[in-house]
Amino acid sequence: MDNNSNMDQVFEKLGELKSFFIFGQKVVPVIQSIIDFMRDVVPLMEYVNNSIQDSASKIPKAASQINSVTNATEMATSEILDIVDSMAMDLSKIKNELGDLKNGFFNQRVALESFGNQHPNLNGQFEALQSGLSIDDLETKVVALEEIVKKIENDSNNITLSLQVQDITSQQLASVNHLIHSVQMRLSKLMNDLSKKGPVDMSDIEAEDENTRSATFNPDARYEKNSNKQDLANELFNSGQKTSQDEIDKLFGK
Amino acid sequence: MALKFLVVDDSVTMRRIVANSLKAIGYETLVEAGDGKEALSKLSSDDSINFIITDWNMPEVSGLELVKSIRSTDKFAKLPILMVTTRGLKEDIVEALQAKVNNYIVKPFTPQILREKIDQILASA
Repeated sequence: MDNNSNMDQVFEKLGELKSFFIFGQKVVPVIQSIIDFMRDVVPLMEYVNNSIQDSASKIPKAASQINSVTNATEMATSEILDIVDSMAMDLSKIKNELGDLKNGFFNQRVALESFGNQHPNLNGQFEALQSGLSIDDLETKVVALEEIVKKIENDSNNITLSLQVQDITSQQLASVNHLIHSVQMRLSKLMNDLSKKGPVDMSDIEAEDENTRSATFNPDARYEKNSNKQDLANELFNSGQKTSQDEIDKLFGK
Repeated sequence: MALKFLVVDDSVTMRRIVANSLKAIGYETLVEAGDGKEALSKLSSDDSINFIITDWNMPEVSGLELVKSIRSTDKFAKLPILMVTTRGLKEDIVEALQAKVNNYIVKPFTPQILREKIDQILASA
C-alpha cells in the first residue's frame, strides 16, 4: 500500500516535471527573443546616448554661430546706413547747388530784362543774346535733375526702411537661440536624470520656455510689408482711447 | 513747441533708422538709450526730453516696464510715448494700451506712419 502511494507521488511529480518541461519549451523561445531584442536594443541605446551627448556638445557652437550671424548682419547694416547717410549728405549738397542754379537763372533773367529795357534798340542782338544763353533749357535740365535727386532720396529712404529686416531677423534668430538653449537644457537634464535612474522632471525648464513674453526678443517677429497688424493697432488704439481705462480693462477681460 | 525725442531701442540699427526717419520728417533733436533702464536714467537727468519713442523687447527694463514706470510718476504721467515694436498680436497691443502708451507702431514702419502717429499724439495732448 505504501509502495503504491509512493509510486503515485513519484508519477505525480514526474507529471509536474513534464508540465514544467513543456512550459519551458514554450518559454525558451520567448526568452531567446527577449535576449535577441536586448542584443539589438543595447547598442541602439548606447548610440542614442552618444548622439545625445554629441548633440549637446554641439549646441553651444550652433548658438555661437547664430550670434555671429546676428553680429555680422548688424555690422553690415550699419555700414549700409553709413553709406546711405553719406549719400543723403551728398544729395543735400546737390539740392542746394541746384537751388542756387535756379536762383542764378532767375537773377540772370531779371538782369537780362533790365538790360533789354535799358537798351531797346539793339536790332535783334538782344534776342540773339537771350537765345545764346538758353536759360530756359538749362532751367528745364535743372528741374529734371531735381526730380532725379528726389527719386534717389526716396530710394535711399526705402533702403533704410528695408534695413529694419535686420532687427526683425535678429529677434527671430534670438528666438531660435532660446529654443536651442532650451533643447540643450532638456538634453542635459535627461542625461543627468537617466544616470540617476529616477523620474525625469522638466517642469522648471518648461516654465522657462513659456517665459518669453519678457524676453529681449519677440518670437513672433515677422518682416511683413502689409499693414494688417498696423491696422489692428490703429483700430484698437482709436477705440481704446475713446473709452475709460476701466472700460478698456473690462473690454479685454482684465 | 520744439520736440526733443528720447529714442529707446536695444538695436543700434533701429535707433539709427528711427533717427533717420525723424530727420526725414523734420525732427532732428534726439537722445538715445539702449534699454529701459538707461532711458529712465536719461529721462531723470534731462528735463528737455518731451517725447519718447520706445521699443518693447529690451534687456534690463523692457519697453512696457519703462512705460509703466514713467506713468507711475506724476511728473511724467502725461509725457507722450509712442511704442515702435515687432509685437503685433492683439493681446500685446491691448497690454500697451492698458499701460497708457499714447500710440503704437508695428515694425517695419515708414516715416509717413511715424509722422502720422506723432501728429496724432501732439494733437490730442
